[in-house]
Amino acid sequence: MCNACGFPSAPGHWTDAGVDTPGDRLRMQFRRAQVLKKILSDYGLSARVDGQIPGIQLSTFTGSQVNLRDLEAVWKEAERQIGAPVDPLDPRFTGIAAEPVA
Amino acid sequence: MPQQGKDGRIRLTVLGGYLGSGKTTWLRHQLYEGVFGDAHIIVNEAAETPVDDALLAQHAGAMTVLAGGCVCCTGKADLIDALRSLCDQRSKQTSTGARLEQLVLETSGLADPAAIVTAIREDPVLVYHILVTEIIVAVDAANAIAQLSDEPLGRQQIEAADRLLLTKVDTVTTAGLSALVTTLKTLNPAAEFCAAVKGIDQPLHVDEGAAPIRLPAISGTDMRDPVVPVRIEIDPSTDWAAFSVWLSALLYARGTNIVRVKGVMNSPAGHLLLQAVRNSVQSPEILPKSASNYNNSIVFIGRGFTAEALEKSLLHFVG
Repeated sequence: MCNACGFPSAPGHWTDAGVDTPGDRLRMQFRRAQVLKKILSDYGLSARVDGQIPGIQLSTFTGSQVNLRDLEAVWKEAERQIGAPVDPLDPRFTGIAAEPVA
Repeated sequence: MPQQGKDGRIRLTVLGGYLGSGKTTWLRHQLYEGVFGDAHIIVNEAAETPVDDALLAQHAGAMTVLAGGCVCCTGKADLIDALRSLCDQRSKQTSTGARLEQLVLETSGLADPAAIVTAIREDPVLVYHILVTEIIVAVDAANAIAQLSDEPLGRQQIEAADRLLLTKVDTVTTAGLSALVTTLKTLNPAAEFCAAVKGIDQPLHVDEGAAPIRLPAISGTDMRDPVVPVRIEIDPSTDWAAFSVWLSALLYARGTNIVRVKGVMNSPAGHLLLQAVRNSVQSPEILPKSASNYNNSIVFIGRGFTAEALEKSLLHFVG
């Protein structure tokens, strides 16, 4: 936990498993930001990890920014801003037009 | 079986099932036979006056009774408190002596086991101390079809199970039992089956070809499509970082329609065993390196998606 800001308040989201060295962790965070950026750009949002501030920074194209502790928080905030959850099975991601409605 | 956890966490077995499905009877006999070793038993009853503890006490090593509220909803705080104090006591013991290694939680008949697993995972203390190893759900062979026909909770319990324990199997015909098993498989295709009479394990003989009984749709629940298992093989080049972004988004958006996720995925730290019940993912276990012949493959059990859609979507995220 960061001594200055107390972040993250809750430990270990499952998506943070899978790395056990600091180098791998940093690499994973950068790669994650890269993927998020690509996915979220369709929705007018962007994500950034700078290796200094813990967590993921989600920003809109107007510049407002929010720092989020894990991926679950990112999807929650994205839903709040977009008005619907980012669904990976959306035709824009799958390229399948007649996706069965869930 | 008493399991010694390599990561030092207490193993928790959740025993659920509808009211009167035979949970206590089965557990009592299992304790008598020593199946759970010196496990600490937690019994939950929704009613104010507990009865089950009297039945179990003679064979259980140690027991906690939580009465007057179902632990998946109104009594959740009590359960968390009880588990935390058990973890506290254990942390004060030396790791060389005999310590509490196994917990068995018998839920009330009204509990959704998935909600309990979620509550434990979301607790910042318990997630480090307790690992849910198995969800066993007792199914009353004589009355299950009637219950499942009009009780959404009964279906939720079945969907959350790792193992379905058919009880009172001596009261039904083989044909009836076969139909029940195939019906249950439409609700939870991944669960193992076992059978018992008065708590004593029985071999289960069923005709796999029996036609499942059509359950009526229950209003207010998502029973539009049957639950199906979908398995996707994941290209070894897929990296964990991108995969975890994808899966977390998928579970966030589709959590209510994805009943279960199970699978193995490679990561920089080794192969991870992933397990999720609805949108709640257990902290992944790292599999031993010695057996390195794991393939990346994930099974999704739920409704409203196809393998093709999942694969294409993942490719888009990773690419």
